[in-house]
Amino acid sequence: MSSNFLSWIVLIPLFSSILLGAMYLYSISVKKIADKYFTFFALLAPMASFFIGFLFFLGLLNGDSEYMYEPYTWLGVNGYIISMGFLGDKLSIFMVLFVTFIGSMIHIYASGYMKGDDGYGKFFSYFNLFMASMLLLVLANSPIIMFIGWEGVGLCSYLLIGFYFSEPLNVVAGNKAFLANRVGDLGFLVGIVYLFFYVGKLGFDYGALEDYVSIVPNHILVIIGVSLFIGAMGKSAQIPLYVWLPDAMAGPTPVSALIHAATMVTAGVYMVARFHFLYDLIPNVGVFIAYIGAFSSLFAAIIAMKQTDIKKILAYSTISQLGYMFVAVGLGAYSTGLFHVFTHAFFKALLFMGAGAVIIALHHEQNIFKMGGLRKKIPLIYSVMLVGTLAISGIPPFSGFFSKDEILLKAYNHNEYLIYGIGLFTAGLTAYYMFRLFFVTFEGKNYKERKMQHVSWSMKAPLVVLAIGAAFAGFIGYPKIFGGANLIDNWLEAWSGTPTHIEFSADIMLMSVSVLAGLIGISVAYFKFFKYDFNQDIKESGLVYNKFYIDEIIDFLIVRRIRDLSTFVAVVIDDGIIDKTVMSLSNGFINLGRRVGRMQSANTRAYAFFMLVGLSSFSIYLILKLGK
Amino acid sequence: MIEVSFMSYILLAIMLFSIGIVGVISRKNIFIIYMSLELMLNSINLILVALSRYFGSMDGQIIAMMVMAIAAAEAVVFLSLIVSLYRLKHSINIDDYNSLKQKGTL
Amino acid sequence: MDIIFLVLALLALFGATSTIMFSNTVHSALGFVVTVLALAGLYALLNATFLFMVQIIVYAGAIIALLLFVIMFLNIQQSHAPKEPNKYLLMLVSAIVIVPFDYLLFKAFYSISFAGDANITTKDFGNIKMLGNELFKNWILPFEAISLLLLVALIGAVVLARKKERA
Repeated sequence: MSSNFLSWIVLIPLFSSILLGAMYLYSISVKKIADKYFTFFALLAPMASFFIGFLFFLGLLNGDSEYMYEPYTWLGVNGYIISMGFLGDKLSIFMVLFVTFIGSMIHIYASGYMKGDDGYGKFFSYFNLFMASMLLLVLANSPIIMFIGWEGVGLCSYLLIGFYFSEPLNVVAGNKAFLANRVGDLGFLVGIVYLFFYVGKLGFDYGALEDYVSIVPNHILVIIGVSLFIGAMGKSAQIPLYVWLPDAMAGPTPVSALIHAATMVTAGVYMVARFHFLYDLIPNVGVFIAYIGAFSSLFAAIIAMKQTDIKKILAYSTISQLGYMFVAVGLGAYSTGLFHVFTHAFFKALLFMGAGAVIIALHHEQNIFKMGGLRKKIPLIYSVMLVGTLAISGIPPFSGFFSKDEILLKAYNHNEYLIYGIGLFTAGLTAYYMFRLFFVTFEGKNYKERKMQHVSWSMKAPLVVLAIGAAFAGFIGYPKIFGGANLIDNWLEAWSGTPTHIEFSADIMLMSVSVLAGLIGISVAYFKFFKYDFNQDIKESGLVYNKFYIDEIIDFLIVRRIRDLSTFVAVVIDDGIIDKTVMSLSNGFINLGRRVGRMQSANTRAYAFFMLVGLSSFSIYLILKLGK
Repeated sequence: MIEVSFMSYILLAIMLFSIGIVGVISRKNIFIIYMSLELMLNSINLILVALSRYFGSMDGQIIAMMVMAIAAAEAVVFLSLIVSLYRLKHSINIDDYNSLKQKGTL
Repeated sequence: MDIIFLVLALLALFGATSTIMFSNTVHSALGFVVTVLALAGLYALLNATFLFMVQIIVYAGAIIALLLFVIMFLNIQQSHAPKEPNKYLLMLVSAIVIVPFDYLLFKAFYSISFAGDANITTKDFGNIKMLGNELFKNWILPFEAISLLLLVALIGAVVLARKKERA
């Protein structure tokens, strides 16, 4: 398999996006193009990328170690060389596979969800552009190329969140997402720049970095590590840069499914895994990362317990699960974290898509306390949502159990008992709020009968596929102690970190404890919500419901201050000082001109006199000069 | 007695010329300005003729004659303009001929 | 010879000064006539006989006459003449200002006056025959141009001075 084809994984969605954009512009200005043409190209792209990625996967299985393709040198300045490069090693191809697969499923789903929308073509142009950027991020051979993809996914996230831009709140949400990302990107840039400054001369692709990173002094490595993680904080919505993700639910549901569940938000985790050679050298920063992850996880779970919008609950659950991933990669267990990325992609995308189906079925109702009793009405969606909810709650044999349990195991093994405790407690909370969502949506009594909107097959089919994935994807990480070959750990051997040594009995006990936590959560939710009486009032107030007022605090502390500063600069400095200076200069000239203009008095004698004066002075000059 | 030489004529011409300039600048009556102008022309003629006599060439006198012809033409035009202006402004004060003035604001 | 020069020179200066000094327009014109005639005399003294006659005919005869004619045509009276309070001050100031220029001119001419003595001329110098010869041999183009100029001036004057009532 020739390495050149690596670029096609990125280029095909990119060209498709450009083509779709051109078609869309043509469609709105000259002649309308039917949706099916857009659909054809839009669905073709991610599937083609999946196909090529799969071929590379087979190549890697056959024994090739990695594929690298560096088509050209982008910048060569003064000994610092930055090349455009694609790297197809086990980690990137792994990411490519599930990103394109789930991406294709969500594209199919979106073709049903967005049907009839005026911006259908525009949507898929952006969607494909997102795929291209994400794949570039994943396949990049150097941090700078990764940053291009990093920015690209941020851009597409903004474009897609604000897709229904006629509603101003959506635009605000898009702005919030982009700005929070930007803050993170600053950290990322600082990290890259430091890295470049210290080791850039020796080559700036991952291979060279891995070889030479140990030269950098340790305190600098800490700065780099923390800065890069700030970038991950922004992209993957950890504390304190998580505030954009719940608001991002203003975008269409397929966007939430693809970007804010399965792919973009995992870019941060991928980045930490990619820089494993760096984080291995600074384990303290890793522990810090793990703590941030744990607290984000807990915090988001608490907020999720009291939310009423179905998509917001899922958004907070995403933050929570991402916290788990960071716990894993922070403690050096990269393959474990990536395993959770993998399973989470399946069940979270499934949950979002199912929620989208429910929302469409109920004519765009998003408050779960206005749903209820949907079990018999939409049985297929009921079943797949059940699968997804069980998976996220960590109930065996569904996928979430294997990945989440392994994370808790690693935490326990690294003697990080506080993190383990938080993780366990959060697992219980996760089960509780997810089943709260499930029961209130699908069960309950005294619910209002309503007329349902039909959900098309293009939406249902991907749900089924992903449900299968959510159910069984866990088996690729079937733990060794049960006799399974832990395929993920084998595949991502270079990233598996220190091997776990744990006694069999201890392992079983830990597993049981985590399952127990999940079951407790489910039972509590069952007793409270299975027969939920819809006639009672929904309480939508309180500290937790209002997300601990974090948004308001940030607004007061930061946003208002910046706005005041901007006003100050705009009015005092710009208008008052700079404008006045420039205008007074020009006004001075105008006045001078006016004064000079008054010389044109049309008084002939004055002219004559001045001529005389001129003549006279010239004569004086000549006399003095010639001196005769 | 003072010897009359070339320079005396020149001196006289220069004085006449200066008197002419002074007249143009200091008087407001347009006719007098005109006459001062003619005075200047005449002084130039004097210089030309003196030069011609001094160097023995006829060129000076011929040029002087041309100047005279031009002065005649100029007189005609000048005076017809004065007639026109007088019809318009009913004044021979040169300060009243100020329609081309720069007005207040630009 | 010298006496004649002195007398004529003084006359010319006197006439010029009176031209610029008088308030009455007609008095100034008369002063101007005096200057013109004195200059004519000076031309004669410089052997420019033809020019002496032309000066009297054209200047004193035509130009001054035209000037006086226009003054009377417009019926300029003493009351029409503008009031000039600062006349003498301005004259003084401009006289002072013009001194450097005069000095320069004087110096310039002085430097060429040493080219040689005034040369001895023939009897015919400056008479009409010689002037005519020179005019039509070497100065034919300016001659034609001047005639054109005179034509233009003639037409121009007619156009400029006519009454504008014609629609």
